[in-house]
Amino acid sequence: MAHTATAPAPGNAETPHGTTRGSGVNFGRVLKSEWIKVTTVPSTVILLSCTLIVMVGLAALAAWGISTAQGSMAAMAEQDPQMAAQMEAQGGMDAAALTVPSSGFIFGQLLIASLAVVLIASEWATGMIRSTMVAVPKRIPALLAKNLVIAVIAFVIGTASAFISYFISQPILAVEDLDFAITTDGVLLSIINTGAALALIAVLAMSIGTLLRNTAGSIVTIIGFLFVLPILIVTLLSNLADWIPDAARFLPDAGATQMIAPEIADDAFNQWQGALVLGGWALVLLVISLIVTKQRDV
Amino acid sequence: MIEAVELSKRYGAKTAVDGISFSVKPGRVTGFLGPNGAGKSTTMRMIVGLDNPSGGDVRVNGKHYAQHSAPLREVGALLDAKAVHTKRSAYNHLRAMAATHGIPNSRVKEVIDMTGLGPVAKKRVGGFSLGMGQRLGIACALLGDPHTVILDEPVNGLDPEGVQWVRHLAKGLASEGRTVFLSSHLMSEMALTADHLIVIGRGRIIADAPISEILDGHGHSRARVRTDRPGELVRALAADGVSSQHLEPELLEITGADSRRIAEVALARQILIYELTPLQASLEDAYMQLTSDEVEYHSHTLTQTSDTAGSKEGK
Repeated sequence: MAHTATAPAPGNAETPHGTTRGSGVNFGRVLKSEWIKVTTVPSTVILLSCTLIVMVGLAALAAWGISTAQGSMAAMAEQDPQMAAQMEAQGGMDAAALTVPSSGFIFGQLLIASLAVVLIASEWATGMIRSTMVAVPKRIPALLAKNLVIAVIAFVIGTASAFISYFISQPILAVEDLDFAITTDGVLLSIINTGAALALIAVLAMSIGTLLRNTAGSIVTIIGFLFVLPILIVTLLSNLADWIPDAARFLPDAGATQMIAPEIADDAFNQWQGALVLGGWALVLLVISLIVTKQRDV
Repeated sequence: MIEAVELSKRYGAKTAVDGISFSVKPGRVTGFLGPNGAGKSTTMRMIVGLDNPSGGDVRVNGKHYAQHSAPLREVGALLDAKAVHTKRSAYNHLRAMAATHGIPNSRVKEVIDMTGLGPVAKKRVGGFSLGMGQRLGIACALLGDPHTVILDEPVNGLDPEGVQWVRHLAKGLASEGRTVFLSSHLMSEMALTADHLIVIGRGRIIADAPISEILDGHGHSRARVRTDRPGELVRALAADGVSSQHLEPELLEITGADSRRIAEVALARQILIYELTPLQASLEDAYMQLTSDEVEYHSHTLTQTSDTAGSKEGK
């Protein structure tokens, strides 16, 4: 076993150690370090594969459901001319078909949020965070790099899932003549925004994970925030006052829904406004998590 | 060079570190000795900026740790052997740490070889023994080839071969002109490794001196002597601070006089001595004496047991 501490470093006598090799911390290097971290734990690969499979699978199911519904409605319309006229007016299931590529988002966001939480909270659970903060004692670059890495991964996975979903769903929809070109108004934007919304959800989730430092607590909080709170407001609270349903449009979940929508109702937020709502939540939570982490003992 | 000035840390009502000032100089091994809960780890965590001091200031090479542009090249720290993601391999952990400073993979392989981690480098850290975890922590501390090395309880969980290796490593690093700051609650380990000691108890510094000075000032030299005329030797040695105990008819334990003085006295009186053994536990004595009032968690010997032990000794 070697007893000498280090191989003799070349350099002048004034600075015999350390500074002779390369230089210090910069954001690109921290980013590379975070990338290595993400790709060297098995949970990342497992969760990302699950996300892709679940999102595409859900889209295929949605396409099948829409196609079947269209089929049974068409059968009814043959016997009932009044119904046929009504369907004609509404454009049948055409609008629903356009949402198929982004329909995996609802579960995709849960899996991506879990991954984001696991990535940061497991650092606290294992003590890894202390190694991270000793290597990057300014702390904020490390957290920003971690957020950027998960956001990029979420964007790529979300966009890829939506693209694959589009191509897989077309033959299923074509059975009832519901298939559509990718160049149809709003479709490409919806596909790309599925990835962008997942990226924002990932940042929101990682910020909550950073604040709570605990995997289970963070995931429960996120489910409450993204899934339970909107239901609660719509089913229980919306009749209490006029402003409540109006305010509910500013919840992150509502923002994400508008962001990925291929078509927008007249009085609803458009895609960009939806992105602002979701992005606003992600940004505020990110800033809070950075401030808290900067001051906290690790 | 590490310099702490009036450094304090309070957790609510509890004061973990109470306004300590010290400096750790390059070119020697400085031991940081104290009982459990004395504030050693908290102090080390403040040095590398993991904990914010409640008061005072600590700098490494003239700057706060976080102000260095290449902190891992300035300071290598082993604070907690298990500060590693359990599902990641040792090699990937070191690679991720190295990447933050653009430290090449060749250096990662170097520290793996240096710490003897080669056979387990590709295995998940979760399955590591405490000793392997310590070696990984030390490998991480050495990654940046730093001027200053901080090791918190580095020999914990190491086998005798590993303990000896850490001892050589610490001395080797100091001999290359680096600052080496080493904490332990094991005085015997410190006696073998450190050149200078900072003793801490209940968050306060009790002693800050070269190890020899601490021994002279507080330890009582003890020696075991076999002679055929014990009574005469005890009378001849009788002086202030010298006490003796008859262990066997011809075996004495003498406290307060070093071996050389005992030999001189015996020679002068023509008393035959057929064993003269200096007893090594003196730093332990010094340490116990220094920290007796400062230990946070005292263990109380059962009265009955100590009575029995006393009567056996007194036979």
